[in-house]
Amino acid sequence: MSEHYNSEVWTEKYRPKKFEELVGQEEILKRVKALVNSNNIPHLLFAGPSGIGKSTLALIVVKELFGDAWRENYLELNASDERGIDVVRQKVKDFARTKAIGDVPFKVIFLDEADALTREAQQALRRTMENYTATCRFILSCNYSSKILDPIQSRTVVFRFQLLEKKDIKRRVDLIADREGLSISADAFDALHEASEGDCRRVINLLQATASISPNITPDLINTIVAKARPSDIRVVLDYALSGDFLSSRDKLLEIMLKESIGGSDIIKAIQKEIWELKIDNMLKVKMTERTGEIEFRLVEGSDEFIQLESLIAGFVLAGEGKVLEDGEVKELSGEKISGGF
Amino acid sequence: MILDNIPWAEKYRAKNFAGIKGQENAISKVKLFLHNFPKKKVIVFHGAPGIGKTSLAYATALETDSEILELNASDLRNRKKISEIIGPAVSQKSLFKQNKIILVDEVDGISARKDRGGLAELIGLIQKSAFPIIITANDIWDKKFSMLRQKAEIVALKDIDYKIVIDVLQNVAKEESLNVSVDVLTSIAVRTKGDLRAALNDLQMFSKLESLDIASDIDERNRERTIFQALQYVFKNSKIDENMIKVYDEVSMSLDEIFLWIEENIPLEYKGEELAKAYDALSLADVFRGRIYRKQYWRFMVYQYFLLGAGISAAKKGVKSGFTSYKKSSRILKIWLNNQRTAKKKSICKKYALHCHISIKQAMRDFMLLKIILGNNKIREELRLNEEEIAYLDK
Repeated sequence: MSEHYNSEVWTEKYRPKKFEELVGQEEILKRVKALVNSNNIPHLLFAGPSGIGKSTLALIVVKELFGDAWRENYLELNASDERGIDVVRQKVKDFARTKAIGDVPFKVIFLDEADALTREAQQALRRTMENYTATCRFILSCNYSSKILDPIQSRTVVFRFQLLEKKDIKRRVDLIADREGLSISADAFDALHEASEGDCRRVINLLQATASISPNITPDLINTIVAKARPSDIRVVLDYALSGDFLSSRDKLLEIMLKESIGGSDIIKAIQKEIWELKIDNMLKVKMTERTGEIEFRLVEGSDEFIQLESLIAGFVLAGEGKVLEDGEVKELSGEKISGGF
Repeated sequence: MILDNIPWAEKYRAKNFAGIKGQENAISKVKLFLHNFPKKKVIVFHGAPGIGKTSLAYATALETDSEILELNASDLRNRKKISEIIGPAVSQKSLFKQNKIILVDEVDGISARKDRGGLAELIGLIQKSAFPIIITANDIWDKKFSMLRQKAEIVALKDIDYKIVIDVLQNVAKEESLNVSVDVLTSIAVRTKGDLRAALNDLQMFSKLESLDIASDIDERNRERTIFQALQYVFKNSKIDENMIKVYDEVSMSLDEIFLWIEENIPLEYKGEELAKAYDALSLADVFRGRIYRKQYWRFMVYQYFLLGAGISAAKKGVKSGFTSYKKSSRILKIWLNNQRTAKKKSICKKYALHCHISIKQAMRDFMLLKIILGNNKIREELRLNEEEIAYLDK
């Protein structure tokens, strides 16, 4: 059977293998199930944040379609890792050359993180999808459907996944705790959930990392692990910026992103949280958070994350002088508002 | 070959005084300082990046058979930490070697305001230390270092003469069996302006390119001249005229490269309000770039060029005078060097990613957490990690 059946990695060991085992996303499940039962699926696009079951659902779809022969009929590619569309195209070509085995007349290609493909690559992908449509179905997954070209979206059935509810994640965690003999207090689960922001894969990884220390899962233990796994130096980036040292702030930022391999969206999340920990006037925190929100939006819309983050810290250099940038104009925060200071 | 992944600037770092090029004067001052020790306890090496300050410190240790105890700027951030690290060290004898040298590298990183404790502690340390202290700095004349200057022997390291840089590059090229013409080496040496580390990095990057022809390199210089002119126009001019809209027309670079040049050089010209406004314009230009990219609204090119030209120009309050030597983006090089360093981590993440249906990038992002999970021997077996990868995890 599945080679992962005995996996020691919990995200694999406890990955749902049937529709019934999935938690949340009821509406999507109903519709996907109906498609699978008809034995003929269109191209699909799964959109939504990470760790909520997109890849898992794709795997279930192929297992339901092909049964034991799913491996021969399924190709999994990750767009953010493949070196350009040519590699993707070649792999698709090789895979699609042979006919599907079994009753289903097509094979399935799962292209994860399709929003990592450039515009040109997406154009090429669109042609590839058309060329092989007789023998292949594509399931694309992405975080933001806005980053997928309209022509591709119009050729797929789009499913927007919701963040998992806390109770759904709890069901999963309880199951694992039961099988692995862990005790997890209610507040420990809260800590686990809070640290993972609805990302079920992260919940399970965090749980396994914590359990490797003790089977008695406490909030303290979880927080220790979280602290261990978090880039600690975001504060330094902010400190440099607020003290007026833009260049050091920028260097530190790049250093963290490179050393810890963190992307812009995770960095900006960490910055947003860190602002409230700063010992500065609350009004300034409000303005800085507003600015962070604006830049996070631009980061999704734009194309170079680092430029957006630089723009953010350049704004913080101003904030360090008690000024803010609003609609392209510099405004001074009035004297009494800034009181409290550093 | 494990050595393949080491930056050449590290691999060919000078080991002893004889290996340090172009700093004869500084070396003789070091010898004098050691001879007179402890009349003065601290010696400061200062000068531009990449000219051998840290190498000279390590060479000094080797020549005096000393062990180096290194502190960096982030260690100096507070009094408690520095006492912990260095408090015992100033009195204890080294386990292996008789002598010790305390090295405080890149002291510029200390902020006068945020790290006041660190600076004070450093000064206190100087009074107590039984061992020589070497400090390296880019700019020792910053006023935050006035106290330090009084106590220290100050030694200026010179920018390395480009002829010496060429010699070094030639030797390295020979060691690496790299067939590269003197013209190319000369252009690298001139371009890096006495920064030997940058020159070695450039050479290493160059060695990865498919063809090593000079023509493309001369081309490169012409390309740089065109961007220089455009940046000068945008940054220096006070009035916004019609030329501002087509200022990048003559630049023979892709738009993405132009973005990188602007990004790198804004802080060389602008401070405070100007800086924030300029980056705001750049950030908006990038948003349009993203929209063009995804929606193919090519019409947005207009706004993109407008923001990069007039937008960035309008951020300033008045005319900027003087000559600014604009720099090539260092970000791409840093990313490249980092990739060299994280090869092992990447190979682990690759195995994990394939096994667990996620991207390698995602695994890299989660690495701190995964590292704990990968402590489990069964999982290591399951992922078929090799000895080197396991050694990396246990490090």
